[in-house]
Amino acid sequence: MAYLELKNVNKYYAGVAAVHDFSLDIEKGSLVSFLGPSGCGKTTTLRMIAGFEQLDSGTIRLDGNDIVPVPPNRRDIGMVFQSYALFPNMTVRENVAFGLEMKKTPKAEIKKHVDNVLEMVRLQDTAKRFPHQLSGGQQQRIALARALAVQPRVLLLDEPLSALDAEVRVVLRGEIRRIQSELAITTVYVTHDQEEALSISDKVVVMNKGLIEQVGAPEEIYRAPNTRFVATFIGTANQFLGKTSGKNMVVCNNVELFTNSLTDFKTDQPVVVLVRPENIQVQAEQSRQKGWNSIHGEVETITFHGAITRLGVNVNGQRVVADITVANTQPVSLNQKLWLQFPPEACQVMVVEE
Amino acid sequence: MAKSRSTQSRDPNKRVRPASWQIFMVSFFLLYMLVPIISTYVFSVATRWDRTILPEGYTLEFYKRAFAASYFTITLRNSLILSLATILVSLLVIVPTVYWVHTRLVGAKPLLDILMILPFGIPMVVLALALVQVYNFPPLARSPTLLIGAVVIYSMPFMYRPVSNAIQAVDAQVLTEAGQSLGANVFQVLYRIIIPNILPGILSGSLLVFSTVFAEYTLTSLIVGAKFKTFPLLLVEFTRINGNVASAFSVISFTIAWLVSILILWVGSMGNTKRTKTIRAR
Repeated sequence: MAYLELKNVNKYYAGVAAVHDFSLDIEKGSLVSFLGPSGCGKTTTLRMIAGFEQLDSGTIRLDGNDIVPVPPNRRDIGMVFQSYALFPNMTVRENVAFGLEMKKTPKAEIKKHVDNVLEMVRLQDTAKRFPHQLSGGQQQRIALARALAVQPRVLLLDEPLSALDAEVRVVLRGEIRRIQSELAITTVYVTHDQEEALSISDKVVVMNKGLIEQVGAPEEIYRAPNTRFVATFIGTANQFLGKTSGKNMVVCNNVELFTNSLTDFKTDQPVVVLVRPENIQVQAEQSRQKGWNSIHGEVETITFHGAITRLGVNVNGQRVVADITVANTQPVSLNQKLWLQFPPEACQVMVVEE
Repeated sequence: MAKSRSTQSRDPNKRVRPASWQIFMVSFFLLYMLVPIISTYVFSVATRWDRTILPEGYTLEFYKRAFAASYFTITLRNSLILSLATILVSLLVIVPTVYWVHTRLVGAKPLLDILMILPFGIPMVVLALALVQVYNFPPLARSPTLLIGAVVIYSMPFMYRPVSNAIQAVDAQVLTEAGQSLGANVFQVLYRIIIPNILPGILSGSLLVFSTVFAEYTLTSLIVGAKFKTFPLLLVEFTRINGNVASAFSVISFTIAWLVSILILWVGSMGNTKRTKTIRAR
C-alpha cells in the first residue's frame, strides 16, 4: 500500500470541477511533482492534502489513515509556500523553532534541531536576522528549514521557486532534491515549470483542466507521452495532422510520413503525428537512410539557444521546427533549401478526437 | 515633488526653493490648525483679552479654579474609563472579526467595509435617542454600560480601518496557513503571528478611538447625562460659567490626550525596540 493515497478526489468551484476524479499513489520517500498550466488543479490538490481545502468527495489516506477529517494543524504535513510566508515579527531562529514550540519540545532540543536544519540549508549564520534582511532565495531556504524542523510525515511545496531569479531557481531546486533524498521525506512538488519537474522528480503527474493526463517517471513522460496535451506541454513537438493509410504510413495535408506499425489504428483514421525537434536531422543533400522520412523545406527562422540552434522550416506551408547543434551540422542560412530526416521511431501517432 | 527630488539628486548641496504657492499652502494649513489651539492656551492664562491684541495680563488663577472644581477628578476618571473600555471592547470585537473575514470569508469583506461607514451616516442624536428608547430597562437603561456600547458603535470605523489595512498588508491568509501547517491552532496563530504583525494598525486604531471618545459629548450627554459625568460635559458646563476656566479645561484635556498618545506609541515601540536590539546584537 502506498504511503500517501488519493482516491477519486473531486473538488468543485461553483459547479465547475477544479479537480476531477483524482487518484494517485505516492510511495514513501519519493518526490512527486504535479505539473500543469495554471488553473489545472495542481495547487488545489496540494491544498486538499494540506487540509486547507475541503474535498467534495473522495478520500486521502496517509500511512493507511483517512486524514480528510483531521484539521491542518494536526496532519503533521509541512508546507512551503510560493511567497515564503515567513513570520515577519520573528527572527530566522524563531521562525524555524515555531513548529517545535507548538509541539512543546524541550528548549535544549529545539536549539539542537534548529541548528541542524539551518546547517542543512546552509544558513547557520543568519539565525539572528529577520526575514526582510534576507534575499528571496535565502528566505525560501529558511521556509524549507522551518517546514523540515518538525520532521513532518509529508512535505508539500507549492511553486516554491516561482518568485525567484532563474539562476537561484536552478541552484535551489538541486538543494531541495538533495535534502529530500538525504531525509528520504515523502514530498509533493507543485510547479508549472516542466524543466523543474523533469529534473528533480521521481514521478511526474501531468495535469490539465482538473484531470490527470499522465503519471510516470520524467523520461517516460518525455519520451512516451500518452496524450497530445502531454506531448506539447512537455518540451516541443511538431504536429502533423493526417489520416492513416496502410500498415505504416500517415498521409498528411502536405507530407507523407512513415511510422512504426499502425496495427492499433483503423485505416483512414484521423491522427496526429508528433515529432520532437531534436529527433530531426538536417541535411543539405537528400541522403536517404533506408526507411527514414525525408522532407524538403526552406529555412524561415534561425534562433540561437546556446547549446542548440532551432530552425523554423517551411514544408509546403507548414512550419516544422528542428534543432541542430553546432558540432554535427554545417552552417545554415536563411532561405536555404534543405532536407529534414527522421526515423519512423521518432514519429508518435495519436488518434485525434473529432 | 518628483522634480525637486531629481534636482537634488544631481546636486545635493543646492537646496531647491519651494514655490511661493507651496509656502502659502503650508502656512495657511499651519495657521488654520494652530491658531485655535494657541488662542485657547493663551486665553486660559489671560486676565482680560477683549480690548487689546495681546492679553492685558497673565494669571494661573483659572487653573487653580479648574483643579478645584468639585467634579474635576471624577469626570477625568470617568472619561478615562469610557475611552479605555471602548478601546478594549472594539479591539475584542474588531480584531477577530477582521481576521476572520480576511482569511475565511473573503466574500464578506465589501459588506463589512460598507457596514463600517454606516456609523458616520447616522446622526449621533438619532443614535443616542434610539438606544435610550430601545434599552429602557434596568440595568441597561441610561447606564454607563449602554454608553460604552453606543460609543463603540460610533468609534468603530476608527478602529476598523487601520486594523483592516494592517491585516491586508501582512497577507494574513498565507501566514495563517503557514502557522497551521506547523501545528498552531487558531488562537496560537492569532496571538503569536497575526497580532504582533498588525500591532501598528492596532495602536493607531486605539489612538484614534481614544482621542475621539475622550472628547465625546453628544452621546454621553443624551444617554447618561449627569449620572456619569465625563470631562467634556464638565468643560461645556464651564463655558456657560467662565470662558477662561473652560479654556483651562481644554488645555488639560489636550495635554491628557497627548500624554496618552505618547504612552500608547511608547508601548507600541517596545516591540520594535526588541527587534532592533536583536538586529544590532549581530
